[in-house]
Amino acid sequence: MESLSAFAIFTGILYQFLPVWIALAIILIGCGIFRSKLGLVGKLYDNPIGIIGFAIVVFWILTALMADLVVPFDPYEQVLGMKNKAPGFPVTGQEGKYFLLGGDNLARDVFSRMVAGSQTVLSIAPAATLFAFMVGITLGLPAGYYMGRIDTGLSFLANMVLAFPVILLFFLLVTKGIIEVGIPMYLAAVLFAFPIIFLLILFTSKFNTRPNEMYLYVGLTLVIGLWAYTGLAFNADPLGVFSMDPNTLNIFVAVVFVNSPTVFRIVRGLVIDIKTRDYVAAAQTRGESPWYIMLWEILPNVRGPLIVDFCLRIGYTTILLGTLGFFGLGVSPESPDWGMTINEGRKLLLIYAHPALPPAIALMSLVLGLNFLADGLREESLKD
Amino acid sequence: MTNQNVEPILEIENLNISFFVRAGEIPAVMDFSCKIMPGETMGLVGESGCGKSTVALGIMRDMGNRGKITKGTIKYRGRDMGDMSQDELRNIRGSKISMIYQEPMASLNPAMKIGRQLMEVLEIHENASKEEAYNRSLDMLTSVKLPDPARVMDAYPHQISGGQQQRIVIAMALLSKPDLLLLDEPTTALDVTVEAGIVQLVKELAATTGTSMLFISHNLGLILETCDRITVMYSGEAVETGTVNEVFDQMRHPYTKGLFNSIPLPGADKNSRPLVAIPGQLPLPHMRPRGCNFGPRCEEYVEEICNAGHISMQQVEGQELHKSRCLRINEIDWDAEPERRIVEDPVAPGDVVLDVRDLQKYYDVAANKIFGGGDTRTVKANESITFQAREAETVAIVGESGCGKSTLAKVLLGLETATDGDVVLGAVDIGNTEVNDRTTKTVSAVQMVFQNPFDTLNPSHSVGAQIIRTLEKFKIGNSKSDRKERMLELLDLVKLPRAFAERMPRQLSGGQKQRIGVARAFAGQPQLVVADEPVSALDVSVQAAVTELLMEIQREAKTTMLFISHDLSVVRYIADRVVVMYLGHIVEQGTTNDIFSPPYHPYTEALLSAIPIADTSVVKKHIVLEGDIPSAMNPPSGCPFQTRCPRKAQVDGDLCEREVPPMRELASGHFVKCHLAASILDAMEPVIVLGDKPENVAPKVLAKKTAKSSGKASTSKAGSGAVAALAAVGTAAVAKSATAKKSSTKSVASKAKTTNAAALKQASKAPAATATASAKAKTGKVGSTVKPVTAKASTSKPAASPAASKATAKKAPAVKKDAAPPRMRKPAKPDDLKMISGVGPKIEGILHGLGVYKFEQVAKWKKAERDWVDDHLRFKGRIEREDWVKQAKALAKGGAEEYIKVFGKKPR
Repeated sequence: MESLSAFAIFTGILYQFLPVWIALAIILIGCGIFRSKLGLVGKLYDNPIGIIGFAIVVFWILTALMADLVVPFDPYEQVLGMKNKAPGFPVTGQEGKYFLLGGDNLARDVFSRMVAGSQTVLSIAPAATLFAFMVGITLGLPAGYYMGRIDTGLSFLANMVLAFPVILLFFLLVTKGIIEVGIPMYLAAVLFAFPIIFLLILFTSKFNTRPNEMYLYVGLTLVIGLWAYTGLAFNADPLGVFSMDPNTLNIFVAVVFVNSPTVFRIVRGLVIDIKTRDYVAAAQTRGESPWYIMLWEILPNVRGPLIVDFCLRIGYTTILLGTLGFFGLGVSPESPDWGMTINEGRKLLLIYAHPALPPAIALMSLVLGLNFLADGLREESLKD
Repeated sequence: MTNQNVEPILEIENLNISFFVRAGEIPAVMDFSCKIMPGETMGLVGESGCGKSTVALGIMRDMGNRGKITKGTIKYRGRDMGDMSQDELRNIRGSKISMIYQEPMASLNPAMKIGRQLMEVLEIHENASKEEAYNRSLDMLTSVKLPDPARVMDAYPHQISGGQQQRIVIAMALLSKPDLLLLDEPTTALDVTVEAGIVQLVKELAATTGTSMLFISHNLGLILETCDRITVMYSGEAVETGTVNEVFDQMRHPYTKGLFNSIPLPGADKNSRPLVAIPGQLPLPHMRPRGCNFGPRCEEYVEEICNAGHISMQQVEGQELHKSRCLRINEIDWDAEPERRIVEDPVAPGDVVLDVRDLQKYYDVAANKIFGGGDTRTVKANESITFQAREAETVAIVGESGCGKSTLAKVLLGLETATDGDVVLGAVDIGNTEVNDRTTKTVSAVQMVFQNPFDTLNPSHSVGAQIIRTLEKFKIGNSKSDRKERMLELLDLVKLPRAFAERMPRQLSGGQKQRIGVARAFAGQPQLVVADEPVSALDVSVQAAVTELLMEIQREAKTTMLFISHDLSVVRYIADRVVVMYLGHIVEQGTTNDIFSPPYHPYTEALLSAIPIADTSVVKKHIVLEGDIPSAMNPPSGCPFQTRCPRKAQVDGDLCEREVPPMRELASGHFVKCHLAASILDAMEPVIVLGDKPENVAPKVLAKKTAKSSGKASTSKAGSGAVAALAAVGTAAVAKSATAKKSSTKSVASKAKTTNAAALKQASKAPAATATASAKAKTGKVGSTVKPVTAKASTSKPAASPAASKATAKKAPAVKKDAAPPRMRKPAKPDDLKMISGVGPKIEGILHGLGVYKFEQVAKWKKAERDWVDDHLRFKGRIEREDWVKQAKALAKGGAEEYIKVFGKKPR
């Protein structure tokens, strides 16, 4: 059997992504039809850069969701005789099947590993960014609103974290001895508490005039929140629904930890600006509590810049995860994580470039898409 | 002025400017024509979004990449600017045509020293040497009257004040000796007294350099003070153009007329002569109606005529320069009085609701916050503030930026706590309670209407949700549906459709947002509403509607209102009492009548003279204050106003610099914080003088009286009679014969001689005097058609009608002698006329306005005088029924004891 031509490889890849294309088309066309009702997302359609970014990001999300349908081979499976084979090489013993992007050093399908790698990245990066935002917002709001001592203290802390070399911090956090002391777990215990605190304050400040609704929301938050909290932070979920692999927990905590000070600073700056508005004074004059003003009067009005930053930050986090993987601090040595795959491919880069390139291009395209999306959102939100 | 031999500096013909955006072409200016002659100042007036700034940008050919001139020509000295190359345009910009923008700081480079920026103009446009450029810049700074020009040359823009910055910008624009100066709202960002200085400077420069100007403003008064000709714009079109006097006195477009009816001119009164707002809103640029743009808002709108097609400028008969974009110029009765919602039963102020005693608010400003080091400085934002406000009363707090009025509002609302002193609301001391520590009742009792409509509503929540939240917070209504119903009622109250509940704030116009702000403030039935410049950010035509709404709700709810403002015309219109603040001190307080008639505090005097009034018949004294408001961080010693006070020399020695003057009570309730001797205060002349007056009278004395009566008119319901009658006298004078006209012309001229240069300029222009005369005719008619009651006042005894006759009784034998009671100068200790049963604080104010201060005076009233006053107050015989004279006699004889003896009961 002959190897596939470049064109055949290209069409082969396109064909493999068929379920993704179909879903992408449905989403894009659907959003296009209802764009007038979709607010900011609908407005993206007026912005070529924005819509390209949106399409790329949706593409990768769909790929991650439908990875099982897309991959031709098991990403962990080693196929005899396929070690370091070039793209389009027919699989030995399996008629009509090819390694579309070749095989890697351990004779696994590069294409399948790249597709599966999107799952790791897209499951960690957005979630870690979200947690970082929770922490940053919960601390940034009071710092910007009250100023004074609270601000001085929190800003000092944030600067400390920002001044610490990130890579060194990561190495520390994943070092065996440090893990045994339990530092990552304690960090997780602190950081994972913020979303619960955030939601509790959010509901109590708004609904304290309507106790019935308040008890409902607070109850729900506490039950679900604490359940997830025990599972994620201490791996002690009695029902076993929430759990996190210790390695994943480590990098998750690390990513949240280094991202939240930046978010804190952004939120603080935005709050300092918004709190001078008359509607904030109006809320004060009707006797609203400070937390109500921060969460319900100020926060909704800083959402624009925060959404943009959220998109950009997922991109940074993705690169950060790649970097971590590259240094061997990734999820698990076997996993198809993009960063790790690039690192492995690096070793034979001069002889076989093909195992390292696809994950690198995937990483680049996702980050590019996120940046485009952020740009588009920023431009459109400024227009109005 | 229309010399055909002289070539116009700028000639704009059928100019059309459009902006091309994603939604398509949006025409910003349509069919605009105007001509500016050498040495002439053209005023361009209109509301926001009417295209006036676009015209200026079009002249500069600086419309960005989206704007484009689609039709028409702009000729500079006869040459079409459209044919000029970019290089030629660049040469003209900044040297032949200069522009001055609204925000001075935005026109100056913050990173360059002022001297450098000025010299650059000469070095670029004239290749001047460094030395020459420096010297000429220095000269220019001297001529724009900057103190210490050499020091200013070496300063950065942020080191000098806003008023000085604007002077620098003007100096920069004038350096290259331009032919044409475009001024785009040059004083809007400045304080009133600073504005007056800049306006005077611009006028002087126009006179000395002969530069032509295009003066863009939304302020009709400012246009009147500065311009020769005026063009009124509406929705992208010029709707009326002509000389200032033609347009101001014989307006021939319904929009111009509507504008004048919606601004508080002297003579407007909130009860008897309320403002008339223009209904509706400015149409959006892409939703303009067919035919006349103003059609949908116009009362004179006629189907098939006004919407038939494009309307071009129509010549107004008999006035060469006067044109109007109205097809019905000859059909509309231009002197017709609009229907006013006259208030028949104004609410009299009740008990004291708010009592502020010796309130102090100091801020400590530390040099370094984190380490606490450095020296701590104290900002004295409020210093011994004492005043009271009664139920249903409107107390205006007047002052410029930095006078502490906003700090006072913050203390009242609990956003700050007082450093010292008491603020008592009802029976609760709220001065030291922060808003979060106040009870719900107190919180809902003190509410605020904010200044900036675009900021007052949270853009993220729907209008309904925001009102419901307020109700929730004030514990009004028991259930969600209850509160929703109440919210809808509040929308009804502020005259907005109920569907607005679902809208987001960005879908509302400025005026509508402000209405929601009002609804929110009145949601909890407040006792006290603090309105912080509630209409100053709105367009003129919308201002009137919001003001009227605010007053109507206040009247119905009997709420006390603290109206914070820098605009004295609005204050005169809306307020019952006025508190004037300067640098944290109350410098003067009293009834509106006290404040607007002499004696004044020197600061009030300057403030009054600084407000531009859009009425050609008004003659003002011009007092321009030197310098700027000192920083509250570093206040001057002694009297806060001493650094700028024009009357400081009238006080012996350095008393003003040494001591803060004591609060002196000049008359009951009228306090002044000034060292000036009583004789000087008493000798003060009124600042604003209505020009309407009968002839044969020494102008000065009469002027004073007229002003008094008009001042009174604004405070009282009955005062309307005074205004109408005053005007009626004018009518009589004009309408009777040509000689009357001539003599009134003469009197205008003679009065001008005694007042100021500006008026002189105006009067010396040929059409000015006739225009004034015809204005009189107009106002006269206005007066006689207001309402049956007023009409009676002016028709039954035209010459003997109250104010005018009072004003002229002694001095003008030509006018039939009337029965107005004899008046007296305000005594040091006037009697408390309120002791007479039937006299409330308001009526007392009116009586004071009539010069009645003592019981003896009332006791001496004869039948004719009694009838006169009765008629004046529109009492329909109440004075006889209540037997004021007998009461007054008793009170005059032996005070309260005698009263009890005679009437068997205690006086009030």
